[in-house]
Amino acid sequence: MGRTVGIDLGTTYSLIAYMDAQTGAPKCIAGPHGSTLCPSVVSVDADGKIIVGEPARQRLLTQPDRTIYSVKRLMGRGVADIQDELKIFPFRIDAASQNVIRVRLGDRVFTPSEVSAFILRELKSWAENFFGEPVDRAVITVPAYFNDGQRQATKDAGRLAGLEVLRLVNEPTAAALAYGLHKQKRGRVAVYDFGGGTFDISILKLISTDEGDIYQVLSTNGDTHLGGDDIDNELMQMRRLRTALTEVTGVDPFQDPGLLQTLRKALIAVKHQLSTEPYAVVDFQLSDGRYLRQVLTQGNLKKLEIKQEEFNDLIRPIIGRTMQPVKLALADAKLSPTEIDEVVLVGGSTRIPLVRKTVGDYFERPPHCELNPDEVVALGAAIQADILETGVKTMLLLDVTPLSLGIETMGGVVAKIIPRNSTIPASAQEMFTTGVENQTGIDVHILQGERELAKDCRSLARFQLKVPPGPAGLARIEVKFLIDANGILQVAARDLRTGQQHFIEVQPSYGLTDEEVERMLEESIEHAEEDFTERQLIEARTEADAILHATEKTLAEPRAAAIAASELTAEERRTISTSVAQLKSALTGSDYKLLRQRIDELNQATMHLAEILMNSTLQTALEGKRLEEV
Amino acid sequence: MSVTQTRSNRSAEAAERKCWSCSAAVEGGHFCAACGKIQPLPAGADYFGFFALPQKLTIDSAALEKEFHKLSWKLHPDNFVRSSEFERNLSLERSSELNDAYRTLREPIARLEYLLLRLGLRKEGTSKQQAPPELLEEVFELNESLDELREARADGGDVASLRERLVEAQQNFQQKLGELDAELATAGRDWDEALDTAADEAKKSALLARMNEILNRRSYVRNLVAGVEKELAEA
Repeated sequence: MGRTVGIDLGTTYSLIAYMDAQTGAPKCIAGPHGSTLCPSVVSVDADGKIIVGEPARQRLLTQPDRTIYSVKRLMGRGVADIQDELKIFPFRIDAASQNVIRVRLGDRVFTPSEVSAFILRELKSWAENFFGEPVDRAVITVPAYFNDGQRQATKDAGRLAGLEVLRLVNEPTAAALAYGLHKQKRGRVAVYDFGGGTFDISILKLISTDEGDIYQVLSTNGDTHLGGDDIDNELMQMRRLRTALTEVTGVDPFQDPGLLQTLRKALIAVKHQLSTEPYAVVDFQLSDGRYLRQVLTQGNLKKLEIKQEEFNDLIRPIIGRTMQPVKLALADAKLSPTEIDEVVLVGGSTRIPLVRKTVGDYFERPPHCELNPDEVVALGAAIQADILETGVKTMLLLDVTPLSLGIETMGGVVAKIIPRNSTIPASAQEMFTTGVENQTGIDVHILQGERELAKDCRSLARFQLKVPPGPAGLARIEVKFLIDANGILQVAARDLRTGQQHFIEVQPSYGLTDEEVERMLEESIEHAEEDFTERQLIEARTEADAILHATEKTLAEPRAAAIAASELTAEERRTISTSVAQLKSALTGSDYKLLRQRIDELNQATMHLAEILMNSTLQTALEGKRLEEV
Repeated sequence: MSVTQTRSNRSAEAAERKCWSCSAAVEGGHFCAACGKIQPLPAGADYFGFFALPQKLTIDSAALEKEFHKLSWKLHPDNFVRSSEFERNLSLERSSELNDAYRTLREPIARLEYLLLRLGLRKEGTSKQQAPPELLEEVFELNESLDELREARADGGDVASLRERLVEAQQNFQQKLGELDAELATAGRDWDEALDTAADEAKKSALLARMNEILNRRSYVRNLVAGVEKELAEA
């Protein structure tokens, strides 16, 4: 069995962390580029190869139509849900998409779960390189306000990446876990998690018991489509800036997709700079390789300057949108802002000074931001992963379901059966019967949300309970709805008259069926096989070239040639030349196994010669030296 | 979401109370006393019984919370990640029952509704509302004021004075709610006492019926208050 890790699958960045046995503290693992942050960007090469992370992010500029970012925004959603996002995000949605979105990258088409799986696979390989052993199980974090479909899509992504998902943990709860370990805090904690694409607020109670610490979530709220991305878009839409850019560069960046991504990157840099500086200038590389600051006059550069004040005015409405969920979460926890003992900031967007000030003013206390806001969620996930893997429980998370679960009743009204902020696992049982004689099926429609009418809530699934024909009201089917510790709904039905388990076939409203996931898994394994073969072939060819070159070089050298002629048998010399010829012929093909075999044969054939040469070199080196000098 | 077809069947173990693992007799506890394995929920288990509490309406909420945390520690699915699928399902069943029970018992009204449901006085998912006779006149006036407010809002009439009247009515009903809660508390204590003194069934039935009736009136007034609150917020 391999290792277990914690993964923060973020909108902008994803991270992987583990529990360090020596220090007893969680740690993030860095990738090949030296950073623990893996940009959540996926790109597809012309030959179909998948590129993830930093190299994929570079390609956002050069190959925007083969590259995707912020895929988390599409998880568990249907085409109708994302019309607003399509106006600002360059997603290329396949025309065949309906209740599961399919995005087009070059000539390949993927579901959001598959794209996320590529990111998970990349992180998995980081950890496998780090440990030198396989990683096969993970705790993955999700925004607390993710609904059932979004959670299921995340779990599917894990499965597609070859990971057993031990648990989905809510991001703010994971952060609280990391902070709790760090600070040994007690009392009531508010976690304000403002990331790249999602906003969550969770109110927790930290309790010490004889057994250990309990992290009990009292309430949670949020917006799964509100984050740093929105701030970037706000900057992109600044009319003043667009006019200024068109004026000083002579090109309207909105007419050029490549330039638009360049501008986006530059504006993100401006946003970051404004977290510490009073102003920042929009600057990027032109197609001739020179930067704007190198070609523009001071006067023109001044036009591209953004002051912190202007930036604050621009983003104030976005920050305002985060405060509504904060108020609702406090109301559900039956607490006032001043009853909160600690406020914790999580997510890259909490680096913005105005965010810190707004939150601090509201709770009337300075918020905590000691831990790296980018890493803290992954660290918490690693702690939970360690608890589940080792079975040594030092703390317990009691999380809640963010949205009420309901079923549609007469007239399209929703009957709530599990209220929001119920501790999970949570369940509800409902009795269903027939309304008319000889009715053979009872339709059940499950929804999630707080609104009164089914049409205003999120449809989770529909199914039909099949009953034998009979008088109205005779059938008695008990359906048990259970939200598990991942926040994912399970449904089981039982015929009360026969006591038999009742078979139900559920059609998820959004998301993949088990069969679809299974099929994708098979396809991805096939692709993995292809990728593996390709890598093996490249490596074998490189090695074959090297050994052929070395052999031929040696034999071309007069002294070695003389030794070969005098010391080797004719048989040995023949074997060397046949081996060289055979390896050369194998090089023209693409069978990496054959190449390996021919390499081994040539190695074997030249071994005796190599030994003789080595000894002779040694002798030459030692000649003329006295023994004591050796 | 997913469909489970392998969940434990409550009726299967109802007949015999034996541990599924070691066959020792089990007394309906969460775990087998002999081998320590988690046990299925017995058929007809109730929320009071889950916490080993009598069906009383006075509950020490601090003690209940402490017990909730203690049982969470033992029953949570975290403990069963490496167990068999059967045990994982038992943990899911028991820990969800624990959470459902705690959610219900910690709120006095939910607790009473649950008791009445268990004892057959209420039906699941139905909450009967009944206008208290002494309030009929006031309810009539209130509805009139609400109508006037809506009209005034539509054609820009004198919203301010109507608001005042509504706020006053609101306070009246809020007070009534308080009175009903006090009545319920008294009836609740009577019920607990009836259990303690092993009172006869007739007396207990009468108490239950009374509490049910107060609860129906309360839910009517509660809805009125919520309705007025909503109108005031919009005005």
